[in-house]
Amino acid sequence: MSRLGIGIVDYGVGNLTSVGRTLYALGYRCKISSRPEDLDAQDLLVLPGVGAFPPAMAALEARGLTGYLRDRAAAGRPLLGICLGMQLLAESSTEYGLTAGLGLIRGRVCALPSLRSHIGWNQIALAGDDPLFSAVGDETFYFNHSFALECAPGLVRATATLRTTFPVIVRQGAVIGIQFHPEKSQLAGRNLLRNVIHGLCHD
Amino acid sequence: MTELRKRVIGVVTVLDGWAVQSFGYARQLPLGKPECVVENLDRWGADEILVLAIDRSRRNLGPDLATLARLATLNLGTPLIYGGGIRSAAEGVAVVQAGADRVCVDALLRDDLPAALNLAGQLGAQAVIAALPLSLDAGELRWRDYRREADTPLHPDVIAAVAGGQFSEALLIDWRHEGRPGGFDPGLLSAFPVQTDRLILFGGLSETEQIATALAHPAVTAVGVGNFLNYREHAVQSFKSGLGGLPVRPPRHPADPRSCPSPS
Repeated sequence: MSRLGIGIVDYGVGNLTSVGRTLYALGYRCKISSRPEDLDAQDLLVLPGVGAFPPAMAALEARGLTGYLRDRAAAGRPLLGICLGMQLLAESSTEYGLTAGLGLIRGRVCALPSLRSHIGWNQIALAGDDPLFSAVGDETFYFNHSFALECAPGLVRATATLRTTFPVIVRQGAVIGIQFHPEKSQLAGRNLLRNVIHGLCHD
Repeated sequence: MTELRKRVIGVVTVLDGWAVQSFGYARQLPLGKPECVVENLDRWGADEILVLAIDRSRRNLGPDLATLARLATLNLGTPLIYGGGIRSAAEGVAVVQAGADRVCVDALLRDDLPAALNLAGQLGAQAVIAALPLSLDAGELRWRDYRREADTPLHPDVIAAVAGGQFSEALLIDWRHEGRPGGFDPGLLSAFPVQTDRLILFGGLSETEQIATALAHPAVTAVGVGNFLNYREHAVQSFKSGLGGLPVRPPRHPADPRSCPSPS
């Protein structure tokens, strides 16, 4: 049986190596690339990211990736956004002014209240009965963000709470966004990542 | 429990590419390869790992990307923070691209605060920590400039940046008592002029009771422990075992299936 191929979208933003090494350790073939022809050959794409929303969107645009990602998602092919990558899936963000996102998840990204950053290990609360996440118990996951997604409740698969409650896993078809860092959440994160990839690629 | 957990951060001091024990910013004893120390902390379930390369700013060498490249091969499951030698926003971004999840800035706060703020703008405030080596002299808070071996008052612009949330957290380092068992001076915490609930304490935190007291403080989100994690196996779990009642991750928290069993 051939191993699943994961494409990691390289748009010059963030720590791609960590994601790549984690996925490789989980048994997947990994290709880090900004070339649509490379990415297109993969079963699933991961959109990682660290940093601010506007330069990240500009970097995707500069590499000609926004149209490619939208077309691929429209074709129903799996896409997983992590941290900033999840936020980029939204329609817009208010970080440093209003910036349009990829529009693959209906919703917008806004600042967490009271100058708060959400940093460290937190528990998540599952919403709904999506089997991709049913194995999550009382584990904690590693968060590192200051903005969060606001979207329709029907898209939310899990929430976290820091004074307010906000979505941390969302799904719209074959597009999933995870606000925390599963690749840096030790065993719990790796198990979740494996379940999500397996579920998305075998649905 | 749904609240954010307080963290025990394993601190690895690096000098000339080697992990060392450090005492009072003055004396160092070799430990070995940073990869080995970091890998242990990862296996033991540290909440974050902070690598501080202490010679990089002194020698104007820039960040230690070679060490980061070696650490990147470890496939760490634990978030990695790096500090040392960052002279510009571009170098801070390069540190993240080399495998760090967050960066710590110290000399940059003195040399070029706008560059530190620019870095926070590029990476997001959540990814940048302001490292402040401090001491108390006659009740007055002093900010250590370790390159010049001099102390000054904390600069008002740095205070304003921390107070304004320009950096995600401030790392208060009791540099004078670093490496001294039970040495951390809690007076630093009360003298710190910013009302915030995002402080990390480091330097002379060696005893479980002392760590528990520090983490119970509402302003403290994390503690850094350095030398004292190297004196026994599973030191992270051992410390955490004594932190019952505090919102911390449980001590039995294997990083991955490679992990050795926790001490019984």
